[in-house]
Amino acid sequence: MSTESKPMHFIGAGETFMPPSYSPWAQTWHLLLKNRMALAGLLIFLIFFIVAIIGLIVTGGVDPILDPARVRLQEKLRPPLSLPKTDTLRKEELPALGIYLLGTDDLGRDVFVRMLQGAWVSLTVGFVAVGIAVGIGILLGGLSGYYGRLSIRLYHILFWSLVVTVAGFTFHQRFWAAALLLTVTITAVAWKRRLDSRLLPLPGPLRWLAMPTLQVDTLIMRAVDIMLCFPSFFLILTVVALLPPSIYNIMVIIGLTSWMGTTRFVRAEFLSLRELDFVAAARALGISDARIIFRHIMPNAIAPVLVSATLGIASAMLTEAGLSFLGFGVPPPHATWGNILSDGKAYIFDAPWLTFIPGVVILIVVLAFNLFGEGMRDIFNPKLRERN
Amino acid sequence: MLAFFGRSVIQKIVTLFFVSVVSFLIIHLAPGEPSQIDPLNPKFTPEMVERMRKEFNLDKPLHIQYLLFYRNLFNGRIVSWRDNLPVLGKIWERFLNSLPLFIVGTLLTWTISFPVGIRSAIQRDGIYDKSTTFLSYLLISIPGFFFAYILIIFVVTKLHVPVIGMETFGVTASSPLVRIMDRTWHLVLPSILGATGGVAVLSRYVRGQMLEIIGQDYVRTARAKGLSSETVYYKHALRNALLPFVTMFGLILPGLIGGSVIIESIFSWPGMGRMAYEAILGRDYPVILTINFLTAVLVLAGTLVSDLLYMVVDPRIKI
Repeated sequence: MSTESKPMHFIGAGETFMPPSYSPWAQTWHLLLKNRMALAGLLIFLIFFIVAIIGLIVTGGVDPILDPARVRLQEKLRPPLSLPKTDTLRKEELPALGIYLLGTDDLGRDVFVRMLQGAWVSLTVGFVAVGIAVGIGILLGGLSGYYGRLSIRLYHILFWSLVVTVAGFTFHQRFWAAALLLTVTITAVAWKRRLDSRLLPLPGPLRWLAMPTLQVDTLIMRAVDIMLCFPSFFLILTVVALLPPSIYNIMVIIGLTSWMGTTRFVRAEFLSLRELDFVAAARALGISDARIIFRHIMPNAIAPVLVSATLGIASAMLTEAGLSFLGFGVPPPHATWGNILSDGKAYIFDAPWLTFIPGVVILIVVLAFNLFGEGMRDIFNPKLRERN
Repeated sequence: MLAFFGRSVIQKIVTLFFVSVVSFLIIHLAPGEPSQIDPLNPKFTPEMVERMRKEFNLDKPLHIQYLLFYRNLFNGRIVSWRDNLPVLGKIWERFLNSLPLFIVGTLLTWTISFPVGIRSAIQRDGIYDKSTTFLSYLLISIPGFFFAYILIIFVVTKLHVPVIGMETFGVTASSPLVRIMDRTWHLVLPSILGATGGVAVLSRYVRGQMLEIIGQDYVRTARAKGLSSETVYYKHALRNALLPFVTMFGLILPGLIGGSVIIESIFSWPGMGRMAYEAILGRDYPVILTINFLTAVLVLAGTLVSDLLYMVVDPRIKI
């Protein structure tokens, strides 16, 4: 850690020398300022974020200011920065900006406006997909790391199968059966709770219900192993192709197929953190498990998770572009960068901007996320911190 | 050692079983059925659909379908729903097409990323390190199909070489030399594209590994003894830095059957990835499930191989 650029902090009469009292976030910020590539990544990310929000505002709604779906067949494949031919267009067909900043596509739609709309789509796909993946990852990883040594007992399995059956009955609209089973379940849970509160074991004939089966950790980690056996892009492609095309399906599927890394990660962090003294102290004070997990352990484990989330957003955006390219992406009324690129590939020699503009923009944004994420990884890495 | 082997084989078979169940469920519980793929076709009368469902066992309960499917898979009698050809034969044929891509791509990846990674670790924070770092981020971030188009435009307009497909149409009539050159040219671009991501990731990994080893005490000792930097880097540091990469030999196994869908689509390469893509489009369940199953087998075999290799090369690891 460089000390020459930081002021020394003195307290009181100036006799007591204290170490620099920087908060971890201020330290991180300080290191980030020194890492040029990460800083550039952050800047591009912020610009992209603002552009995406502007894009949502100006292209959304019933009567948008800039209409991405406006077709002008007589103006197709105009190069970037060309002016519209005012004599052939009706008044409402004129581009609101008065110029085709990035040209038009094969239907005469304004590529600039479509790119603006696509920015928001790419952003949401990236963030929602990674949000789902990180959410599942933190939940399962936390469970596995913190409660990993507990066993799943037969009555747990019984409880969940009852819940699933109730859901099944409700789904098939057999409400009476569902209500009956629900009552049984709730009574059983309440009875078990009362036994637990008096520290009583299950009565003799029912003791087999408490038989331990699997450990929580084993269950979750085997699930991760199973998921890792699927070739991820192929799996996403299969599911997307089988489900009706929709932008939400794509987000959810990318999210549901990419939580394994975060899970392993969070589990490892929890396994090491739960053995530390501050957790033991918190437990000794009688703090609830939930509070220990979310207030004491999580803040210490979150930094690397955020790093992998940043990198995950980059790869989710690439996946979305790849899916759109293969024709399984976001369905037509929405423009996405992948769609624009894949529509433009037929005109690659006549209208190269249709390929190059979205391609370069995807490249820059994904690069920004990668640079920022990797930069933050270096910054959070204590081994590298010492050398800086 | 033997106990470890046995235990992990059993564990992997259990995992494989669950993979087969999950993939079967994903495919069969998703909305839509192969018999409904073309509802507007007048030839698809209800009787016809019924006959198809019967033929493909789609009218049986799900667990029976599962058993029938995997029994056929292990007997090797499984056939594609599209053309009634044996699936394993089809896969083998496509596999032979994808194999050259895989071999050349892997060779490129491993021969490029090691020198690059080692050099940027030795010259840490130098110009070379910074530029290769940036370049590798660039290569990770570029959408594969976009990069493919840039390369195609360059090769087609500047070098005037045809690159789409496995060979130029009608080239079979010319001399062997011309044919070999033609095949090679067609192989170059897809393999380079297949290798880019790998080179970028692997060279960063090599660099990180080298950096960690260079910081160790025994490297400092070697340097303090007055050994030349050649000896220090290539004899003392590199040998230890290589350890984790031995295990990666196991992890490239799944790539054998993976084949990139996107690259093979762009280059009209009749390989595995393209076949999987066509199977997905046609709802050819046997092909999709078989590819999935084989991939899972290779992934699991790969991890097993890498565990074993690690034990062989690193005497510190004992079970």
